Amino acid sequence: MGKSIINTGTVTYALRGRDLLRAKGYSAYMFRTTGKSAVGCGYSISTAADAETVKSIFGAEGIKYISIESGEGQ
Amino acid sequence: MIYLDNAATTFPKPRAVTLAADNCLKNYSANPGRSGHALSVRASEEVYNCRKKLAQFFGAGKPETVIFTENCTMAINTVLKGVLNAGDHVICSGLEHNAVWRPLNRLKAEGVAFDTARVFLEDPDATVKSFEALIRDNTKMIICTHASNVFGTVLPIEKLGKLSEAYGLLFCVDAAQSAGVLPIDMARMNIDYLCIAPHKGLYAPMGTGVLIALKGIDKTLIEGGTGSLSMLETQPDFMPDKFESGTLNLSGIAGLSAGIDFVMSIGIQKIYQAEMKHIGMVYRELSRMKEVELYTDAPRPQSSVPVLSFNLKKLSSEEVSQKLDEKSIATRPGLHCAPLAHRMFGTIERGTVRICPSAFTSAKDIAMFLSALKNIESKAD
Repeated sequence: MGKSIINTGTVTYALRGRDLLRAKGYSAYMFRTTGKSAVGCGYSISTAADAETVKSIFGAEGIKYISIESGEGQ
Repeated sequence: MIYLDNAATTFPKPRAVTLAADNCLKNYSANPGRSGHALSVRASEEVYNCRKKLAQFFGAGKPETVIFTENCTMAINTVLKGVLNAGDHVICSGLEHNAVWRPLNRLKAEGVAFDTARVFLEDPDATVKSFEALIRDNTKMIICTHASNVFGTVLPIEKLGKLSEAYGLLFCVDAAQSAGVLPIDMARMNIDYLCIAPHKGLYAPMGTGVLIALKGIDKTLIEGGTGSLSMLETQPDFMPDKFESGTLNLSGIAGLSAGIDFVMSIGIQKIYQAEMKHIGMVYRELSRMKEVELYTDAPRPQSSVPVLSFNLKKLSSEEVSQKLDEKSIATRPGLHCAPLAHRMFGTIERGTVRICPSAFTSAKDIAMFLSALKNIESKAD
């Protein structure tokens, strides 16, 4: 698991977020959100970027997400 | 078969398009944006990559602004019925397809008013002024075709975009006949909503409409499963899921992606110039035939798309098209779902025969069409 898990509502934002993180030099991959979400189906990104970095990058690009969890480190 | 009905849908499709659709159906035709297995992710990547291509191709920026619909008509309905409310006023042009005109008439019954602006064929500024003269306090949107599907006339989209911006109006363009044929840059042209028929100028399979929305749309046409936020009883409020209920046409989208690559590999300008050369040749020859009626001036670059309408004086448009079909030449007669345009050109009673080349049309095809038409003309007495 990476430093952060970003839970998104839709595969479109998940893929865009993944590509953006990779373009910034962070490893990132997308997977279907596991059974934790209170809102049902969605897609998540595991990335080496920390939560604050993700918030900054996603905020600048208008990528919406539901939540960011801190992971276990690389 | 000499196929000159490319304004209805392009045929044949590029080999890369059929291969892409075939490859999808054979190798990764899982449901995109639903499951988490490898094939579903592969499918999702295909859809997402096509969104990116479309957003870039049309100067839209973000891929989530790209909404896949069943066809261009559904894209137009999504905009009109999602944005307009009772009390609003809309302006369209006198060249609209029924895809615009019928939804506007339906909305009229619900309290949305609309006016039709006159199009001046050789004077874009006069066309813009005719739109401007119709703007009222409650005007919310200008919607118009980029190019007539009957006569090939191009509207001054860039100027209408500036007009819309100056008055704070939303601007929606029906690009059914122009996407992939003329350059379109939504940001530069101030286009808020672009409605596309990719099975025409982008050589995609049918069933692959696209709406690119740079401004919000309040109401949805349909609601349902989106693969996202499934616990919620209401539709997701984010793009593109808000407007993409139900399973997408994955193989069609794969074909569309290959179609964009095909157009980009040759170049829009190069395809356009070749098609305009064909149409120019047809126009010159038809203008010399005594029994032929033409309705426009000779097609000119940037003022026309390669679409031409004509009639033979002594035959109906249907008879001419049928006789051409007997010689294995495909054209389209009648009103082309555009009675407004036919009224403007005085052809509402009999319609016209319409021809439109594609990137696959050859000079030999055009010569054979002209020869066949001259033969029909000589026997029309």
